[in-house]
Amino acid sequence: MVKLVINGKEITTEKENTVLEVARAAGIDIPTLCSHESLPPYGSCRFCIVEVNQRGRTRMQTSCTLPVAEGMEIKTHSERVMKIRRILVELMLARCPESEVLRNMAREIGVPHCRFERVRGDKSLCHTCQACTLVEQMPMHAPAEVPSTFVGRSGCILCGMCVRLCDDVMKIGALGFEGRGMRRRVTTPFREPSEFCITCGACTSICPTGAIELLRVRPQEPLPIPSEFELGLANRKPIHLPFPQAVPRVPVIDPATCVNFMTGGCKVCEDNCQVQAIDHTQQDRIQEVDVGTVIVATGFKTFDPKRTPYYGYGVFPNVYTALEVERLVNASGPTGGEVTLRDGRAPKSIGIIHCVGSRDNKTNRWCSRVCCMYSLKLAHLLKEHTEAELYNFYIDMRTPGKSYDEFYGKLLEERVHFIRGRVGEVTDWAMTPEEEGKLVIRVEDTLAGFVRRIPVDMVVLSTGLEPQADAQEVRRLFNMSCGSEGFFLERHPKLAPVNTFTDGVFLAGACQGPRDIPDTVAQAGAAAAEAMVLIDKGYVEQEPNTAYILEQECSGCKSCIPLCPYTAIAFDEAKQKAVINEALCKGCGTCVASCPSGSIAQRLFEDDEVFSEIKGVLAYE
Amino acid sequence: MATRLTSCGELAAYRKTVAAKRDPNRTCVTVCGGTGCRACQGLDVAAAFRQAFQEHALEGKVDLRVTGCLGFCEHGPVVTLRPKGLIYVKVTAADAKEIVEKTLLKGEEMERLFIKDPQTKKRLRTREEIPFYKHQMPVIFGANFDLDPQSIDDYLYVGGYTALVKALTTMTPELVIDEVTKSGLRGRGGAGFPTGTKWASCRKVESNGKYIVCNADEGDPGAYANRSLMEGNPHSVLEGMIIASYAIGAHEGFIYVRAEYPLAVELLAKAIEDARALGLLGKNILGTGHSFDLEINRGGGAFVCGESTALMASIEGRAGEPRAKHIHMVERGLWDRPTVLNNVETWSNIPLIVNRGSQWFTAIGTGDVSKTPWGGSKGTKIFSLVGKVNNTGLVEVPMGATLRQIIYDIGGGIKGGKKFKGVQTGGPSGGILGVQHLDLPIDYDQLVEVGSMMGSGGMIVMDEDTCMVDFARYFLAFLEDESCGKCTPCREGVVQMRQLLEQIGAGKATMAHLDLLQDLAEVVRDASLCQLGVTAPNPVLTTLAYFREEYEAHIRNGKCPAGVCKALVSYLIDAEKCNGCTMCARNCPSGAIEGDKKQPHKIVLEKCSKCGICYEVCKFHAVARN
Amino acid sequence: MSKAWKPRIVAFFCNWCTYTAADLAGVSRMKYAANTRVIRLMCSGRVDPQFILDALSKGADGVLIGGCHPGDCHYVEGNYKMLRRFQMLKRMLKDLGIEEERLRLEWISAAEGEKVKRVINEMVAQVEKLGPLGIPAKFQEWDKEMEHFAAQVAANEAASGSACAEHGQTAAQANKMEAAHA
Repeated sequence: MVKLVINGKEITTEKENTVLEVARAAGIDIPTLCSHESLPPYGSCRFCIVEVNQRGRTRMQTSCTLPVAEGMEIKTHSERVMKIRRILVELMLARCPESEVLRNMAREIGVPHCRFERVRGDKSLCHTCQACTLVEQMPMHAPAEVPSTFVGRSGCILCGMCVRLCDDVMKIGALGFEGRGMRRRVTTPFREPSEFCITCGACTSICPTGAIELLRVRPQEPLPIPSEFELGLANRKPIHLPFPQAVPRVPVIDPATCVNFMTGGCKVCEDNCQVQAIDHTQQDRIQEVDVGTVIVATGFKTFDPKRTPYYGYGVFPNVYTALEVERLVNASGPTGGEVTLRDGRAPKSIGIIHCVGSRDNKTNRWCSRVCCMYSLKLAHLLKEHTEAELYNFYIDMRTPGKSYDEFYGKLLEERVHFIRGRVGEVTDWAMTPEEEGKLVIRVEDTLAGFVRRIPVDMVVLSTGLEPQADAQEVRRLFNMSCGSEGFFLERHPKLAPVNTFTDGVFLAGACQGPRDIPDTVAQAGAAAAEAMVLIDKGYVEQEPNTAYILEQECSGCKSCIPLCPYTAIAFDEAKQKAVINEALCKGCGTCVASCPSGSIAQRLFEDDEVFSEIKGVLAYE
Repeated sequence: MATRLTSCGELAAYRKTVAAKRDPNRTCVTVCGGTGCRACQGLDVAAAFRQAFQEHALEGKVDLRVTGCLGFCEHGPVVTLRPKGLIYVKVTAADAKEIVEKTLLKGEEMERLFIKDPQTKKRLRTREEIPFYKHQMPVIFGANFDLDPQSIDDYLYVGGYTALVKALTTMTPELVIDEVTKSGLRGRGGAGFPTGTKWASCRKVESNGKYIVCNADEGDPGAYANRSLMEGNPHSVLEGMIIASYAIGAHEGFIYVRAEYPLAVELLAKAIEDARALGLLGKNILGTGHSFDLEINRGGGAFVCGESTALMASIEGRAGEPRAKHIHMVERGLWDRPTVLNNVETWSNIPLIVNRGSQWFTAIGTGDVSKTPWGGSKGTKIFSLVGKVNNTGLVEVPMGATLRQIIYDIGGGIKGGKKFKGVQTGGPSGGILGVQHLDLPIDYDQLVEVGSMMGSGGMIVMDEDTCMVDFARYFLAFLEDESCGKCTPCREGVVQMRQLLEQIGAGKATMAHLDLLQDLAEVVRDASLCQLGVTAPNPVLTTLAYFREEYEAHIRNGKCPAGVCKALVSYLIDAEKCNGCTMCARNCPSGAIEGDKKQPHKIVLEKCSKCGICYEVCKFHAVARN
Repeated sequence: MSKAWKPRIVAFFCNWCTYTAADLAGVSRMKYAANTRVIRLMCSGRVDPQFILDALSKGADGVLIGGCHPGDCHYVEGNYKMLRRFQMLKRMLKDLGIEEERLRLEWISAAEGEKVKRVINEMVAQVEKLGPLGIPAKFQEWDKEMEHFAAQVAANEAASGSACAEHGQTAAQANKMEAAHA
């Protein structure tokens, strides 16, 4: 620990700190241009200069690079220091008069205007290296065309943070300084487009003046990382909170895009975390947990509307899925609750198409159960957010449930238009002037009896529910079956809706079939109850169709022993006979059929019983 | 060639064989081969001598030695004759033949080749007679007279590498450091940090490797003392570094030479090669168990690389930019290892101190270093005396010599009999001192007190025809070019100062500009990152302090008293005094003078470029300067 | 004679997959040929080759075995064991002169009600083409032949009065013993 005095106040601190860190922690504001908590100190802008009195000697030092020492006396705003800062601001303003950052600083320090003139050159000394045109500060001769790879254009205050970030932190080094003195500038090596730049955008984000154009560093558009939760309507960073309701509510790092995994550098997040909660060296762990019951609740996926190309998803920009519109109307979504078209205009008319990927021989035959209700909900919300004309195109209005149909009635009162008919296509081909620039929904209005064309600004596709893409893999894992639609098969639709054919494995939620939230919750409770019964009971009830050994007949040939998938057959060395553990036996009967001497029998499915059955079924014509 | 010597005994034996082959009484002609004299065709003179020797069958009877710089640069090419010690100046190749025929064969001294005293008009023959040499104390530089820089045998003959043997065999490393500290030797690069103290700090640090570095990046315009030392006596630098490596425990070293000194690089490389071949560099030097070897690094053309941290960055292969120095280089320098960096001249002092002892050294110079080496400035300093003096060249004087002694006694006074106006010490970062400082004893602390600095020893003398405003502007333009650009005050401030000075020189400034200039200069001095920036305002601050009336004349009266600032100068021919000799018209480069022969001439002001040539050539003082 | 012959097929279905699929077919009101008589076993691995032979010998014209798809067996591997036996049995039946199409193994999962319908229809059509197997009738025939043969031997012996030298019995007595163990 070290004791020092800053502006007359005594402060104790760790000896690794710099004077700047200590002063800032004590609430003293020292201006800086080239300092940043993620970067090692550089000491180039000189704004953080303070007066240091140590062992009788007074000197001016930059507080960002000066480590604290016992007995230091620091003055951060003395007359001498302020004079330095004022002149420094004026000098920088002469270089970049339009810079907001500098102007703010000038105002804070108390500099009314800049007394220096922009730097002029001597024409006779010009050797047309064009360095000046790149800085745009020294128009020595008629500026030639600015080379396209120059990075720090006018507005660059040469703080060097982008260079240090790219080099020291990101460990890429695509940017550097070139030139001496007034000709110093930020650029890529040889002023050529950098092949090392990974367009992470760190330089543009740290630049205090926005002087960096990423395209000049690497002339290709950076690939945005679309946010999965926002369905690509917004972008995210490699480190991100998956969604606001995530449990646990902590950010995650995506190793595919995180710079640390690419270059070993950055780790800005780790350095800034106050509680050291970030560990880039974390590895996947495979944990084995022994359980007695499993509840499969693996959910559903939405229908991909690209399979119904006649609705124009992915072709016309203003065709959205319902899930995307959910994000649009959400106040914490990518647009903050503003429902706009892709070009930012407010839609004046919106069409919601029901049964996209449901009740359809061409795609999915079943009814997805929830879409009518959520389409009505969206219609209501969209009416609130946009005052647009709303059109719902339905086949049947399926609103079972508490207050559901009443809600439908409310919408009718809100003057939402309901058109009964399956939409044939969405097109942008206008037949009349009113249809220009809009999306036209072609539908047979079955109640009115003719085909209609309804122009709207925005189309919302109410996509249905489908089994997850990996449903077949998951079901094999748990020894379950799937129904013909691909949802997991329950043991009995009425009598055992949450059980599967495998004891101890239960189903809950939309993985078993499309259902809404109240039903899912109820089913989940049922599955949990079934599971708990199994756990609580303390014993398991077994089917009686187990196999047993006829000891006298058994020859000890051991051919049954490897056959049992449950290892229920053991060999009694003493007796030299096979022995079946009835608790393990599941009653498949494979061993029964395989025994060469016929010494294994199965209860309920004895050979004699089967023979009788055969005789029985063949007793008539 | 020579085989590697593996013990000090072998070295002593080798030295004897070298001495045995030499006859100190044999006639020797030395031709100065320093860069300055080379530029005056000095090598042609040497070739002419060789040819003349051949023609007169003098090979084997008379030696010819091409030496390094002898310091008398104004009057080169310089030729000396031993053992008489005659000094011939401004010798041409044709003269060489004559010298051989007359002086060597007949013993006739050639009066016309002796230097003439400007006051007494007498011809001066030897170093003892020539005031330029008489008033110097060339303990270091004097060796150049006896050395062919390419011959290690020459160096051994005059006692070279005896200090190394003494240190390696009779002194512990601590003793060496102690001796250097007691001598009060302070860094000759300009900062004047006590060398022994630096070495002691470095020795204390534990590390897996230490470095010895020589700063030969002499960037000051007008300073060439380091160059001449390297070109004249490269082995003295090597010897000093090897001794230091022993004292500190380093085994690797670098000599950072600016690339603009190709001759120095060449001669240093040869010296290193020869030293290695003899076993004075490399593994197990002279069987003492100490190993040390050197490498030459060439600078890339940046003045700022003379700054220690920038120099190290350059050796490491990074851009030459300085860094904050709160971590000292003796603890973490090159590649984060303890490093001792010293100037060329500092290194050359080391063998002398080891051989002759610290007491001999403290007897020369100012102050009292018995308690601390900061207490005074000991030993000698080599200055590059240039500018408006009669004897420009390299002078070595004890610390404490006054400016008057250097400029007048040694330098021979102001050229053309003009008035002394000022002298800049310490290169472009040095301050400009005036008449009132002529009796200032030169040492580190006194110079800093008056706002200047010792620097690397550049001394530029100015006369009444130098405009201080323009002079300051010139150096600021130099520094503007050389600033690395990392820190705001230096990068922006130096340029702005230069611009302000230009405005003043153009007559477009107000008194407010003067105040702004003063403030700006102070800020640049206080806020810059490295010494380049910190000392950059010295020309401005000192001229403002000592020559303020000149600034005010520019601003208030719109006049440049020295007649340099073109915007404020005009030339006029006084028709009464002009007799129409057409001298001015014929010399005018712009063709701006009209007038027939024998008629009064007139200057056409629109065409006049203010060069001042008419003013210089008119013998009748008919051209007036405003 | 009897009315037009209809094939009779005995089907051994595993409880979890094929039987459920058949249930599904029924629930879905699928119509398919009515000639199959389904016997439910817990797993296709329970199917003993004896059952198949017994069914055929009792008058089945074809036997259909239905199990879960490989990898999906409720009891993990039972259907693989069935498959092994099936391959061997097929060869044996061929040697016995019984047509391949009369024995069929199908993997039908619980969702494949449609497949049940299709497989049954196909098999019935095939077996119809092949005609009746009629093994019981053949057994009766062979029995009659044996009786006739035995009667002939007895008659011959009675005519010559010799008993079997080795066994000390007459042919008639030997016959009786044989008949008792049939």
